[in-house]
Amino acid sequence: MVFNSLTFLVFFAGLLVLHHLPFLSWRAKKVNLLVASYVFYAAWNPPFILLLWASTIVDWFIARGIYAARDKSRAVRRSWLVISIAVNIGFIGFFKYGEFFLENWQALMQAFGVVWVAPQWDIVLPVGISFYTFVTLSYTLDVYLGRSKPIGNFLDYALFVTFFPHLVAGPIVRPTQLVPQFETPKQATRDQLLWGLGLIVLGLFEKVVLADGGLASAADAAFGAKDAIGVADAWLGTLAFSGQIFCDFAGYSTVAVGTALCLGFALPDNFRMPYAAIGFSDFWRRWHVSLSTWLRDYLYIPLGGNRGTEARTYVNLMLTMLLGGLWHGASWTFVVWGGLHGLYLASERWIRARSGVVGDPVGPWNRLALALATYFLVNITWVFFRAKDFGGASRVLAGMFGFAPQAAPILPTIYMIKVVVIVTGILVVQWFMRHRALEEVVSRAPWWATGAATAAMLFAVIVTQGSGQAFIYFQF
Amino acid sequence: MKHIHEQDVVTVREIPQTRLAAIAWLVLAVVVAAMACWEWRMRQLGLLVGDLEDSKSAWSVERRRLESRDHDGVAILGGSRILFDTNLDVWQELTGRRPVQLAMPGQSGQRVLADIAVNSRFDGLVLIDMTPEQFFRTGPGLPAFEGVLDYWEDEGPAKRASHQLGLVLSRHFAFLDTQYSLSELVDQLDLPNRGKIGGPYLRPWKLSEVYADRQYVLWRQIENNEQLRSHAIRVWTNRDPPAPSEQVIARICGDVRDSVAKIRARGGEVVFIRPPSAGAYYEREQRTVPRKTSWDRILRESGTFGIHFEDYPDMQGLNTPELSHLTREDAARYTRAYVGVLRERYGWLRPGAELHPRAR
Repeated sequence: MVFNSLTFLVFFAGLLVLHHLPFLSWRAKKVNLLVASYVFYAAWNPPFILLLWASTIVDWFIARGIYAARDKSRAVRRSWLVISIAVNIGFIGFFKYGEFFLENWQALMQAFGVVWVAPQWDIVLPVGISFYTFVTLSYTLDVYLGRSKPIGNFLDYALFVTFFPHLVAGPIVRPTQLVPQFETPKQATRDQLLWGLGLIVLGLFEKVVLADGGLASAADAAFGAKDAIGVADAWLGTLAFSGQIFCDFAGYSTVAVGTALCLGFALPDNFRMPYAAIGFSDFWRRWHVSLSTWLRDYLYIPLGGNRGTEARTYVNLMLTMLLGGLWHGASWTFVVWGGLHGLYLASERWIRARSGVVGDPVGPWNRLALALATYFLVNITWVFFRAKDFGGASRVLAGMFGFAPQAAPILPTIYMIKVVVIVTGILVVQWFMRHRALEEVVSRAPWWATGAATAAMLFAVIVTQGSGQAFIYFQF
Repeated sequence: MKHIHEQDVVTVREIPQTRLAAIAWLVLAVVVAAMACWEWRMRQLGLLVGDLEDSKSAWSVERRRLESRDHDGVAILGGSRILFDTNLDVWQELTGRRPVQLAMPGQSGQRVLADIAVNSRFDGLVLIDMTPEQFFRTGPGLPAFEGVLDYWEDEGPAKRASHQLGLVLSRHFAFLDTQYSLSELVDQLDLPNRGKIGGPYLRPWKLSEVYADRQYVLWRQIENNEQLRSHAIRVWTNRDPPAPSEQVIARICGDVRDSVAKIRARGGEVVFIRPPSAGAYYEREQRTVPRKTSWDRILRESGTFGIHFEDYPDMQGLNTPELSHLTREDAARYTRAYVGVLRERYGWLRPGAELHPRAR
């Protein structure tokens, strides 16, 4: 079920009551949470829960196998790890990339003159498979790399993998971050509960009011255009998508953090004002933090990170970002999106190495100019992320750079106004909060101002309603 | 020294040092007061408690009834006209049967007919509305029902539950009408646009009230509010759809012929119906999709029976305030008239008659 649905409201209210019942043991409450998480997942498409169970069980046994073989040869441990990777990547490969592989194989065969038509691929993508697979993989990899021991209790382990707030779209948690929280009884304090509810309101406001109600229509119109589009429409459509994807995903993450907090658990932040980033290493410390750190720890560093030659470092960086792009979706447009980010990161690294500049530039105007330049370049990448194919991406890019001056206008005035108002608001707020945490800002604000802002957001959520649209990242 | 990342330690979240309980009380008070005002205002604008709204989920409930054989052997397909212009209670009164209402606003019934022909065992009477411009349109219909032919089978438990909860709330709150949501109201601002952009202002606004079993009636405000009625007329008459090409008409006639043959092969029947339209809308339909090249041709090629409002005296003079849909009173009259024609032709539709041999 999605957070922005009536079903979730009822589900969550029931679970909160159950979790705060005084006479239930801690173990019983954890069982409740586990069962609730399975219900949460099965509510989309019940049969897919089998995949979740399979991924959970396989990594439970494999991690124990790896640990039991800690004194044996590396080959034994590695063979256990290969099984885990094969099963997990096998699931993703089949369900997420099966059609992509077949289409590309067909194209490759045709390039060699072999006529082969790929069979019709009518497989539904299990929601959140990329996220929970990364969670289980991180557990096994941590045990393999000697960073942690296997979890001693299957209930805690299964709950770590399945805990519903992070299950389908992150944050991609690590065992070290969450599992110890299951070891002792947890119940939210009054302030945790209230702050958690506040975060839920904020997240739903971002998703329902800003992303779906405010920005989606302009992005859909620009990226759905069949003909050439003009410079204003192309830019406003892309800016709309930059705001939409942020509000959609950061909104989800904020609700996830809020729901967990209402139950007494802490999940990490996934976004830290990314559009206030100065440069791309800064951007990736702020955007989808749990994915970028996952890629760093389990892909970039094992590839060698920056420990080899300079050339090797650039290769590792590009490989990591290309695969990170492919993780988002089975399409070459996502690979290009990742490749562009890899290129940006590599360029920044090259410039910093030669200029000797470390950290942020001096002077507020320099910082602002570089932040805007970063945002500009990020928007170029969003074109590939949002477009359905390269034809669509080239249409929008051509418009953005003024190659379609005769194009007929697309966006109605009301959409343009919404984009300008909301995106400007997002940028101003993110710049103001660049070095501040939300908790710090709220602590310093007058309580009535926080109350009025929260009330306004909640009111806007209720009267906007929304149609329970799925979060964009569910498709990944 | 090894650097400790936040991923390596148990997550701890700060809680703001402020008066959270006072904030919560303030939020509660302000939101309750604001919602009371909003609900009052929405009722003033004519929104009704118990107006259930339509959706893909509501349609899916009806579509699944066909497969579970929870029906009386009659299904209605088509666009908004047959949806507004059919009174299900009158149907039931006259025949003892309550049709499954599967028409959708802004959609062609032809695609649903093809789906039922192939993906259903339904073998009763299919009544299909032919609103000419929609029936021969090749592009997508209104986005609200896009993809519904896949959706009804794939709809998961969460969406089904949300739909049921939405129905419960709609019976108590008028403001839940999605056509009067905040974002819709903002989009409905009448601002000048560049070029020939119509924009959301020129999309259809709320026209209907919807009750159980997807019973649509024309929203009273369309009859009573000059501004809303004029807007609806402007939306209908502002369009300039191209006439369908000969190839498109031929293809759709062929598809219909195949669908009808499949439904008949399992004992079912298909009847076409052309509900009334009026004024400039009717005149444009006469120009773009004349009866001879559409209605007459499709009946001829598919070998089906049809009820065209022009052919029956008791279907004349009906009131279509915004040129396309009947008032609720005239929808009852129209239903009585066309069901009368059907009863004459199909004896099994008369009350007390045996069920159509394969209707269940």
